[in-house]
Amino acid sequence: MYASKRSRLFVRRNSAFWMQCLLGLALAALVFLVFRTTQANLELLGVQSGFDFLSKKAGFSISQHLIPYSEDSSILAALGVAILNTLLLAVFCIALASALGLLVGVGRLSSNWLVSRLSLAYLELFRNIPVLLQIFFWYYVALRALPSFQDSLFITDYLVLNNRGLYFPFIEFGGGLSVNPPVMGRFSYEGGFYLMPEFLALWVGLSLYNASYISEIVRSGFESVPRGQWEAGAALGLKPRAVLRRVAFPQALRAILPPLTTVYMNMFKATSLAAAIAYPEIVSVFVGTVNNLVGRPVEVMAVTLAFYAGVSFLVAWLMGRWNERVLRRGG
Amino acid sequence: MAASLRRSAPSHRGAGRVLPWLQRNLFSSWLNGVVSVALLGLLLWLAVKLAQWLVLDAQWSGSGPGACANTQALCWPFVRARWPQFLYGLYPSAEVWRVNLGLGLGAVLGAALAVRRMPGRRWIAAFLLLAYPPLAGWLFRGGVAGLAPVDTSLWGGFFLTLVVTGSVFWVSLAAGVLLALGRQSRLPLLRQACTVWIEFWRAVPVLVLLFVVIIMLPLFLPSNIKIDPLGRAMIAFAILMSTYLAEAVRGGLQSLPAGQYEAARALGLSWAQSRLQVVLPQALVVALPQITSNFIGLFKETTVLLVIGLFDLLGEVQRAASDPQWLGAGTTVAGYLFVAVFFWLACFSLSRASARLERRMTRYRPARVN
Repeated sequence: MYASKRSRLFVRRNSAFWMQCLLGLALAALVFLVFRTTQANLELLGVQSGFDFLSKKAGFSISQHLIPYSEDSSILAALGVAILNTLLLAVFCIALASALGLLVGVGRLSSNWLVSRLSLAYLELFRNIPVLLQIFFWYYVALRALPSFQDSLFITDYLVLNNRGLYFPFIEFGGGLSVNPPVMGRFSYEGGFYLMPEFLALWVGLSLYNASYISEIVRSGFESVPRGQWEAGAALGLKPRAVLRRVAFPQALRAILPPLTTVYMNMFKATSLAAAIAYPEIVSVFVGTVNNLVGRPVEVMAVTLAFYAGVSFLVAWLMGRWNERVLRRGG
Repeated sequence: MAASLRRSAPSHRGAGRVLPWLQRNLFSSWLNGVVSVALLGLLLWLAVKLAQWLVLDAQWSGSGPGACANTQALCWPFVRARWPQFLYGLYPSAEVWRVNLGLGLGAVLGAALAVRRMPGRRWIAAFLLLAYPPLAGWLFRGGVAGLAPVDTSLWGGFFLTLVVTGSVFWVSLAAGVLLALGRQSRLPLLRQACTVWIEFWRAVPVLVLLFVVIIMLPLFLPSNIKIDPLGRAMIAFAILMSTYLAEAVRGGLQSLPAGQYEAARALGLSWAQSRLQVVLPQALVVALPQITSNFIGLFKETTVLLVIGLFDLLGEVQRAASDPQWLGAGTTVAGYLFVAVFFWLACFSLSRASARLERRMTRYRPARVN
């Protein structure tokens, strides 16, 4: 603490200078040694290096792709598909977990005893069971129990659920808005947009698990708002719900955002659990399939690590900006 | 459902207090009343359905794969039949006493530590931290001094979960403290190196790091050094865990008033003395809630080992349920329920115990304003 303000590379004291020289040399030697060993090992195994494999033909299909993709596309395109699938899952999870976490967190503060106890029960139930087990439950048990294609569940005319996934209408904007509901084809529903069972299991599992953490953050955020603020809102004649939305929530948000960022990051990182049930995101497509196909472990791992590090730092930066805005605007 | 600051009022004894309590906490307004009735109905329906599924419709008796002819009913004989596998994996049954002895010794030592008035607690703690890990490692692995070697590929189940959690935590706590101190060092090069190391690994998912270490570590090391998959997995977990713990400890270090550092210097204590005797004892107490929640997180996260082909408790259940003799929805659910109950009980009691410990330790917390 007392030394952290010094930003010059070398502190004037002699022993410190030599210690840093020694440390620098040791680090450099370690990096050099690992580099040489890896090179020798790769040569021994006959592994080539370089990123040229990205432009080669992929030759495998991916069941869910948000951009045009076929077996003839390049490996780079497969990487793009995998990254988009990862981000799609992360965004869906963040949305559902936030909504559910807010609901349960506010429920904890409810004056209704049953509601607050049930919210607590939710928190303790979902937080203390490993998330991978929850995902397995949704994937291998709950979704398997859904009706087959022939007798699908119609949630409305436009939402169809069966054990092959969830079908949405496809909304087209060309020449006015038109909604194309999924239509029953010979072997599956067609014409709509569809979420595969692997996606559904991960979405539900990750969201329910992380909502428990978010609910705890929301609760302590609201409890950090001084009691006088609620009373002042009520004294102004605002209804309880208006006090909650217009007085308490903006202030609670300041305490909520920093820990919420951590949960969002954890959730984004946890999308990699998709590899356990083969949802085609970056770990299962790139670290799994592509690495087995081309055998360039160093390059594949470097790209994957760079992706996760890049997104994490981007999210941290964006949430930091939002946090600054909330702090500035809040009264 | 309207939220307000008023928490549920404390319950009162006696029948005469029940009605006012109900009115205050369940039926304070007509909206609250509707919500309460709806939730009560839902709970009742759920309880009936659950009881039917878990107890009445479930298959309880019988043994062997033939017991669960109805593949939809919950199949408890499956859990009973595969119990040893869930506990020890494929560890040879003639050698299982070594696992029991090692884990039992750890449990006894841990329990002794939890007793507040235990004589020689300091020595027990030292033994648990320094002598117990190599002793347990020797018992489990064998190969030296008369014990038959047991390859780590045979380890599994609850035993593997405990071994990974325990040894990773043991290594990571030491490494995490060193990293946190390094991040606060007055040597800029050391400080920057630690910061970059921590911030980078914090951004990487555990599963990705597991793959990286499993695949890359053999490339990084000279070909005459071989580390088995379990060892590699533990290294991956330890890299992540130590960065998480380093952040927890850093929080503790930063919460100490600068006066503590200055006072230690003024007393003429060396760097190591001031850290060991003044700074760390206080910082670790402040960081304790963070450290235990990371421990619980690690415990739950060991389940991802099954993705890289190591069989922890969940992995063994998954492997047993995919046995063609036992195939069926009923077996899978029974296995999952067993694992869920196990993890729930362990994590719930751990977090309760940590909350208690935290309350007890607050008296060692540095006195400070705010």
